[in-house]
Amino acid sequence: MSVKPSPKLRPSGYDALVALAVVALAAALGFWMWRGGTQQGLTAVILVDGERVEQVALRELDHPEERTLTAGGYTLHLRLFPDGAEMESADCPTQDCVHTGRITRSGQSIVCLPGRVIVRLEGAAVNDGGPDIVIG
Amino acid sequence: MRRFTGCFLAALLLLGLTACGAKEPESLQVIAMDTSMTFTAYDGEGEEAVSAAGQEVRRLERLLSKTDKESMVSRLNTAGGERVAVGEEVCSLLKAAETYSRATDDTFDITLSPVSSAWGFTTDSFRVPERAELDALLKNVGMGHVSIQGDTASLDAGTQIDLGAIAKGYASDCVAEIFRENGVANGWAALGGNVVALGSRPDGSPWRVGIQDPQKADDPNAFAGMLQLKDAYAVTSGSYQRFFEENGKRYHHILDPATGAPAESGLLSVTVVADDTAGNGTMCDALSTALFVMGEERALNFWRSGAYDFQLVLVTQDGRVVITDGLADTFTSEGDGYVCETVS
Amino acid sequence: MKLTTKQLTLCAVLTAMALALSYLENFFPLSLAIPIPGIKLGLANVVTLFALYALGPAQALLILLARCFLGAVFAGNMSALIFSLLGGVSAMAVMILLSRLGGLSVYGVSVGGAAAHSCGQVAAAVLTLGNTAPVFYLPVLLLVSLFTGALTGLIAVCLFRALDHTDLMKA
Repeated sequence: MSVKPSPKLRPSGYDALVALAVVALAAALGFWMWRGGTQQGLTAVILVDGERVEQVALRELDHPEERTLTAGGYTLHLRLFPDGAEMESADCPTQDCVHTGRITRSGQSIVCLPGRVIVRLEGAAVNDGGPDIVIG
Repeated sequence: MRRFTGCFLAALLLLGLTACGAKEPESLQVIAMDTSMTFTAYDGEGEEAVSAAGQEVRRLERLLSKTDKESMVSRLNTAGGERVAVGEEVCSLLKAAETYSRATDDTFDITLSPVSSAWGFTTDSFRVPERAELDALLKNVGMGHVSIQGDTASLDAGTQIDLGAIAKGYASDCVAEIFRENGVANGWAALGGNVVALGSRPDGSPWRVGIQDPQKADDPNAFAGMLQLKDAYAVTSGSYQRFFEENGKRYHHILDPATGAPAESGLLSVTVVADDTAGNGTMCDALSTALFVMGEERALNFWRSGAYDFQLVLVTQDGRVVITDGLADTFTSEGDGYVCETVS
Repeated sequence: MKLTTKQLTLCAVLTAMALALSYLENFFPLSLAIPIPGIKLGLANVVTLFALYALGPAQALLILLARCFLGAVFAGNMSALIFSLLGGVSAMAVMILLSRLGGLSVYGVSVGGAAAHSCGQVAAAVLTLGNTAPVFYLPVLLLVSLFTGALTGLIAVCLFRALDHTDLMKA
């Protein structure tokens, strides 16, 4: 077990190869992330009046799916995609949920105040410089 | 020796795995005070903190709601001029509202409630009231119609209050206090357009707070700009948040107390930012409404007066984003099509 | 594995030195220049490198483990243990491998070790955080490890030169 290598003290061309390998690894990783390779699977969590009624692993969807939610006397049509969710239509007076558009990032949500429905995306946050919090 | 080391390392790895998720933040999203609220705690007694925050906003909703007939505000509104023992908390909030009204030249006014109802903003049955109707209602508007004594208050006949423009800011102050009590040093709460950001992100950098692009209110990924905030409050008031259209004209919910009509100030949204001093959530909420009504020039003059310690992001109708110089290092322009200006 | 008294003493001294270097490092916060969590010079790696050549892989690993555990005990921060262990063991494995390849000098071995250390730490961060967000930092960490690796390599080379005439290297 004590086979000791003897130290070579002068840098050689092989050392440059190690450095090159490290740079290549860094570049490859950087490129992969730039392509959005770290995007993790999102889960859509559907809450009605604070109760979790369903959660859907979006990455496992191979085609868009529909959900019809009835809450507070309103009917909402939700569409789930492999990369997000949107409220297609609703018969509530405010239409805020429909106007939210398509949510695609972890932490985003579609909220229907009159129906007390929350559709929320959960999953690992992607560090792409996007906001942690949105106001407005 | 080698086998021992191997076992030990394996055991450690398992320990590490069970510790997994220990740093996952605790998060709770609820619907309260007529908006969606999210509480997120990254450390401390996170679970207790977010659930206590949820209970706190429900308590405040029961106390301050205009639509809940049992609330203190409703009791005051329906007392027919009688004095009501509304309690210390409501009284201090009324006093704060009075202070901000006076400081902002009455551009912030909690007694606009009957006017807002006339436009249908409280009931979602929208209509455009006649000028005469508005003028009649405006006679009962103004903090002079509210009397506060000790922990009691009374309203003149015909006057009604709605704390909607200050209650969520006050709630954000209360939630920040709850977070601190539960040892949450890093976390945030978003209560509608009211944000309080405590500490920093898990990697030590400031929280990134996106300001919704008012011209693309339908796109959750469109921002007019991004703020990097540590230990701060930020509140946005915008005409895009609540509006209706009639005969091709758009009417929004931020009413000018001087006219009783939607404020036409040339602004699309106002974001007020201040440090995490207790009470600043309430201040930011009140000021964001007032400064929206004032418009760009008056708002910037108010900022320059130094009456309150805060910074501003204004999004104007003519496509500019105006920031005050205290935000120069924390604001990055995001939205395409906006020209960014820094003023001092 | 049997240790002579001399070897045991050397191990103890080197462990102490590694701990001292880890502590010393706090006074040169590299994270101020490059604001990335967990970024540091990795001076303690000099000891690992030295032990690898002077004492062999087995004892170098022993010193590394002792350094990690004692460091965590002294800092009173057991959660940091998985970081230093995963980082240290990865670096050690790569350095043992590279040092046996033959053609490489101390510099190459050191750079390889530093890069592996970064990978190990990021792996630890992924494990404890439960998400892959820390991988985002890896490219920068890898590039930085080129410099920190060369630096620790240089220090180790100086050490070998200075100790060349002693019988330490033949222990």
